[in-house]
Amino acid sequence: MLEVRNLHKVYPNGTVALTDVSFRVDDGEFLVVIGLSGSGKSTLLRCLNRLIEPSQGQILWDGVDVTAASGAELRRIRRHIGMVFQQFNLVKRSSVLTNVLAGRLGFANPWLSLLGVWPPSDRAMALRALERVGIRDKAEARADALSGGQQQRVGIARALMQEPKLILADEPVASLDPVLSHSILQYLEQLNKEEKITVICSLHFLDLVHRYATRVIALKDGKVVFTGLPQEIDKARFKAIYGEDAVEVRAGMTA
Amino acid sequence: MSVPRPLRTTLTALAVLALIAFAWNGSQVDFARLVNSLSKGWPLLQDFLTPDVLGREIQPVTLQLAVPVPCGSAAEAPPAASGPRLVPSVPCAAPRDKFTVEGFDLAPNTELQLRWRLPSGQYFPGPFITTDADGYFKAEFEARPIVATKDGVPGQIEVELQVEVGNLRPSPTLHIVLDNVVVTIFMALMATVAAVVVAAPLSFLAAQNVMKRGPVGTAIYYLTRTFFNVFRSYEAIVLATVFAFWVGFGPFAGVLALTIVTIASLGKLYSEAVEGIDPGPVEALTATGANRLQVVLFAIVPQIVPNFLSFTIYHWDINVRISTIIGYVGGGGIGYYLAQMINTSQNSKAGTAIWAIVIVVWVMDFLSAEVRKRYT
Ligand SMILES: Nc1ncnc2c1ncn2[C@@H]1O[C@H](COP(=O)(O)OP(=O)(O)OP(=O)(O)O)[C@@H](O)[C@H]1O
Ligand SMILES: [Mg+2]
Repeated sequence: MLEVRNLHKVYPNGTVALTDVSFRVDDGEFLVVIGLSGSGKSTLLRCLNRLIEPSQGQILWDGVDVTAASGAELRRIRRHIGMVFQQFNLVKRSSVLTNVLAGRLGFANPWLSLLGVWPPSDRAMALRALERVGIRDKAEARADALSGGQQQRVGIARALMQEPKLILADEPVASLDPVLSHSILQYLEQLNKEEKITVICSLHFLDLVHRYATRVIALKDGKVVFTGLPQEIDKARFKAIYGEDAVEVRAGMTA
Repeated sequence: MSVPRPLRTTLTALAVLALIAFAWNGSQVDFARLVNSLSKGWPLLQDFLTPDVLGREIQPVTLQLAVPVPCGSAAEAPPAASGPRLVPSVPCAAPRDKFTVEGFDLAPNTELQLRWRLPSGQYFPGPFITTDADGYFKAEFEARPIVATKDGVPGQIEVELQVEVGNLRPSPTLHIVLDNVVVTIFMALMATVAAVVVAAPLSFLAAQNVMKRGPVGTAIYYLTRTFFNVFRSYEAIVLATVFAFWVGFGPFAGVLALTIVTIASLGKLYSEAVEGIDPGPVEALTATGANRLQVVLFAIVPQIVPNFLSFTIYHWDINVRISTIIGYVGGGGIGYYLAQMINTSQNSKAGTAIWAIVIVVWVMDFLSAEVRKRYT
């Protein structure tokens, strides 16, 4: 269980990105974070694994205070939290296999890993992860030789190497077209349902939210303006979240 | 306080003009001298344009001609009609007679010594002579009593020539120049390699996106940057002079100076490459729980390899030029050889060195451009 208490984030330049954000995520949930551009979704997700330092507040994960951890302890927490990014964040010039193996760095022997030496068990695990997302045959290809959808699958395989209990996904499909969006989200859904991995995912398109979310929280100007089930987002709530002039746009091609 | 725009423009223009006038005076520009002294520069230029690169092997050849003393004591020999030859003004002579000897088609502008070959086989030295541009000379000669015919064997006038034989081959100068060029290239290579070994790790310490986290990191960042900026602004040649007092003039002082300047310069270039990387992979690997060193190695290094390679080769190219100049002031290699040849007015050898430098710089320039094209 993840519990966020009174989280605040003010960037050094004075921008207030999060104000008093509190919520709970139970194990096995597929929580979707929605909100306009600039509402603080990325900031929130990055505060959860401290890629961004929160200014105030507390994050408790299974009773462990993430906000208080430092150094080696923080790395031990991070290695159980997978993360998937909008821009995939692969090392473009490295091979797909190397990118996937890098997901195991937190567990690897630090010295051997610096030499690029991986135990056969890790290699086998990486190939299984690639198999799982359907691109095992691309293992030796350079990451930038893959299409966007394939690159995001490498991103998921990398997260799988952590055998994560929680996956943070920051707009994982915003750079992909609708067909590919569903294929990527289905992988996340599968991990959520079959492996009981908790997923916290930010999304833009409401039809995707309805299709995949078990619960939704909405941010507006850094504040939580809605928490509940996806089907509870009616017209009034929609306007409260996105503003009076907003019109719903769909990713389409619901799978 | 606002100055009207046209006035400001005029003032600026005047200031620039004044500056140019100052600079003109300071650098003692004298076009008249440039033209008037053309006659001084021209032969030098000609020598430089005809470098000493090829030559033939040289063999000593002895020209002889029998001159019986006194006349009738032995058979006279007719002088040859063509080729390198000696032609005396008389076919034979009485003891103590003086006659002239002419030489034709000998090596031009060369000092030679005439001599008598005695019937006994020993020789008696005669006058030194210098041939003109056509290989011609004319000299007074005396029939000493000692050269008189003995047992029917006459004395002979004789001159020893150095004759070029065989095929064209690289001249000794070319060999020396090539050796020195190699020394220069290796000086540059040594300095570059040593600098890479130091600059590559240091450059991460001077990269904002790696170090600007926490007060210690920030302090190291500013320290490293300051080191780079200070030493980058030194000319290698100034440092070379400093090191020359320390370890003596020679290639080593040059390499030391070059290494330090290259560390600073490459370190700056590298650190900018590190700052220019895509931060995405760094973020992603940090999120997996990797430590700082693992993140650098897996997320940053693969991104900077092409830039590091191209900067390194570019700098080797620059270092070849700089080490030529350092050599000129005593740092060894081709620059030093060039300085020696110019100081002793051996201009065609200097010309060979200059051509060698030009060609090496061209080739390095071309190669570094090619490699950079391929890796970026
Ligand atoms: N490094 C930063 N420094 C200063 N301000 C920042 C920084 N990163 C984000 N912000 C600001 O914080 C606010 C929240 O940004 P954030 O990226 O979290 O929003 P978002 O909901 O993810 O938006 P998007 O949908 O465009 O990704 C925005 O006003 C943004 O301009
Ligand atoms: Mg965002």
